[in-house]
Amino acid sequence: MDLGEFEADNSVSCRLASAIPDVCKTEDCCLGIDEAGRGPVLGPMVYGICFCPVAKKEALKDLKVADSKTLTEAQREDLFRKLDEAKSFVGWALQILSPNTISTSMLQRYLNTYCTRHTHTHTHTHTHTQKETQRANNRTHTQMILTVLLFHRSKYNLNALSHDAAIGLVQFALDSGVQLKEVFVDTVGPAEKYQEKLSQRFPGVEVTVRPKADSLFPIVSAASICAKVARDHSVKDWNFPEDLGEVDADYGSGYPSDPKTKAWLLKELDPVFGYPQFVRFSWSTTQTLLDSRAVTVHWDDDEEDGEKAAARQNNTSMLSYFKTSAQQGNTHQTHRFFTERRLQSLATL
Amino acid sequence: MSSNCSVTRLQLDSVSQAECPSVHLLPCEIEHDGPAEVSQFFTATIKDRKHEKTVSFRGRGLKGQEVSCPQGCTGLVLREVNKSGSDQEDRTVKVSSVFHKVTYWNLETSPNSDDGIVMAMAWPDLAEAIHGPVDD
Amino acid sequence: MTTKKKRTPHSPNDRWVVVAADSAVETPKKDDSDPTFIRLRNPSTDAASLYLLGSGDVQLYEVKAFNEDFHSWFIGQTVQRDGRLLYVTPMDPLYLLLPYLIKAGEEGKFQPVDQVVMDEDFPACTRLLSCIRSQASLHHVAEEKEVGSQKFQRYSQERTMEWLKKKAERTVKTLRKSNISVGEGVKSTTYVRVKQESETQEEDYLRYAHGLISEYISEDLSKALLKHLQLPELSSPKEVEPPSKKRKLTDKPLEAGEDYTKFNRSDFSRKPPKKMSAAQKTLAKVDKTGMKSMSAFFSPKGKAEKK
Repeated sequence: MDLGEFEADNSVSCRLASAIPDVCKTEDCCLGIDEAGRGPVLGPMVYGICFCPVAKKEALKDLKVADSKTLTEAQREDLFRKLDEAKSFVGWALQILSPNTISTSMLQRYLNTYCTRHTHTHTHTHTHTQKETQRANNRTHTQMILTVLLFHRSKYNLNALSHDAAIGLVQFALDSGVQLKEVFVDTVGPAEKYQEKLSQRFPGVEVTVRPKADSLFPIVSAASICAKVARDHSVKDWNFPEDLGEVDADYGSGYPSDPKTKAWLLKELDPVFGYPQFVRFSWSTTQTLLDSRAVTVHWDDDEEDGEKAAARQNNTSMLSYFKTSAQQGNTHQTHRFFTERRLQSLATL
Repeated sequence: MSSNCSVTRLQLDSVSQAECPSVHLLPCEIEHDGPAEVSQFFTATIKDRKHEKTVSFRGRGLKGQEVSCPQGCTGLVLREVNKSGSDQEDRTVKVSSVFHKVTYWNLETSPNSDDGIVMAMAWPDLAEAIHGPVDD
Repeated sequence: MTTKKKRTPHSPNDRWVVVAADSAVETPKKDDSDPTFIRLRNPSTDAASLYLLGSGDVQLYEVKAFNEDFHSWFIGQTVQRDGRLLYVTPMDPLYLLLPYLIKAGEEGKFQPVDQVVMDEDFPACTRLLSCIRSQASLHHVAEEKEVGSQKFQRYSQERTMEWLKKKAERTVKTLRKSNISVGEGVKSTTYVRVKQESETQEEDYLRYAHGLISEYISEDLSKALLKHLQLPELSSPKEVEPPSKKRKLTDKPLEAGEDYTKFNRSDFSRKPPKKMSAAQKTLAKVDKTGMKSMSAFFSPKGKAEKK
């Protein structure tokens, strides 16, 4: 498996795919979806799809694919080679969610989808300085919306991230011309809701979401093998974009419960940066370690700080401003050029 | 008001020994003053994308760009030498670093002309207008 | 998972990130002293502010801090918690001398300027005199008489107004070239005003320039300058009016009935928000028509007096 494209920039997500077998573009196909690396605190999470003509299900069975978790690494490598050899009728595609993508998505305070849904292009201006006006408008709008948002704090959670990856891969298969009739999905979450979501998203495709689907349907087993092989390869040969010299590669399975992983996390912690991007910052394991052993960092959207900031931003700043002026015994009000630019006089260096 | 008597001398001959480090303005408050492996963890992972730079810090996505010091201005990092505790005494600062551009980072937002530091860079030009000599 | 630790207090700084005018850090001529940061009386607040005197006390500089909350620096291989950026820009020392000249001028007689510029609280103010001498600019604000080899000065309001007017005109020129919004802070769909555009612009620029210069002069002088510039005084005691207020004054129909401005005018129109978060910025594009301002939620009091 060639992960070169992902390794070239493992800070972002990457899609890798086999060639699409011609037969998949003409015959009704089944498709399986599975994931690998959901739990670990290290490395990417990989989504895999595998697809073949419905008529070739038996041929797939003959390859003796099975749930990747029941196989040894060597067996998985072997089976992936067989799947690759069956490229005349089996295709696959992977979505590799880099740990950095997982961290930054999950730690975003506000849902992007929520934002964009409300985006409205404001075209009204009757002025020479359109840009400035737009700017001013934006400012005013911002605070209006903040009101709404304060009550809609939400994070992009792992389930949403997973679902989006899965949907993206099915769409990719459709866009590539695969004649999809059946989709089988393994899930750890509630199956019914997810099945409904996928069925609605892909009308005309029969969707089956089932826990342990990876052991029930060979096409899902095949997908799980593809995903697991990619995850293993990328973790084993993780190309640290940081300039860290030799990094101890003995990080175990990457599961927070693995003593080797724990020891590695303790050893590699940097007091300022925390960890390389290889580590998922959105995992509570990581946050707990940072809270207790790293320098404290405050963001303006931290829950506690953020609300204070919002209050200050609104009225408190005015109040405290007047207070300072009063203390100085005059009514001077700083011109908006300076307040807008956060420029202030200093009394001491 | 005795502290109004004390002055802080800016030791200019230190400029020649000043370093030219890269300077980044981050959208978070880091409760630390001191060494950090900036080049290893941060600079090495900066990506130059189409209209912006991207990086992450503590798992938060940052987007940034470079801003230059306005024409006729230079960036300096001043450092106090022989820091005394008292505000009555004269102090001395030296130029420990010189820079000509700053890379500033927004939290998850693409850099744009509304960004505080971009707007603030308009100040030296306007200051010249307010304070420059007028004709007779 | 969010860090909910309180922010610990800052320890005193020993490092500052500065953008300085090149002239402030040019290597001094032989025998000239190093530049020094000094505290002088701020003519607009009457309180102490920090300034820099260039080497040889020839040029004065103002020190301002760009200060956004939740910011820190990476400088080379170090972290600096204090995320401020200081600006050191040339300053006209006459602004700082004016209060002393005006005070002495009340007696109406000509005096040597070095007998006038004295301040117990700010002894360093005498050093401004050497700036003034090297710039030979005192005549802009004072009448001069020469008796023998000695010069005597007397504050002149007339000259000062002309000087400040030139300052304002200079500033307008720069403002025009810049991207700075001098007009109404907020335009919204509900408040479309039809005014003579060119007229508005000219007055807005001049008023903006006046506001900037007022940062460096006393309130009395600021009022006098407003008159001298033939700018109508606005009814509020504040120098810079929120635009919506201005509109309210000029547009009769809106004065009647309910005060709609409270939904459109917010503190943000004059006081921009602190750094916006990503989502805030994205959301900033949202049409807020009909939405209540955030201040309406947070400020049950204090608003009333502004109506």
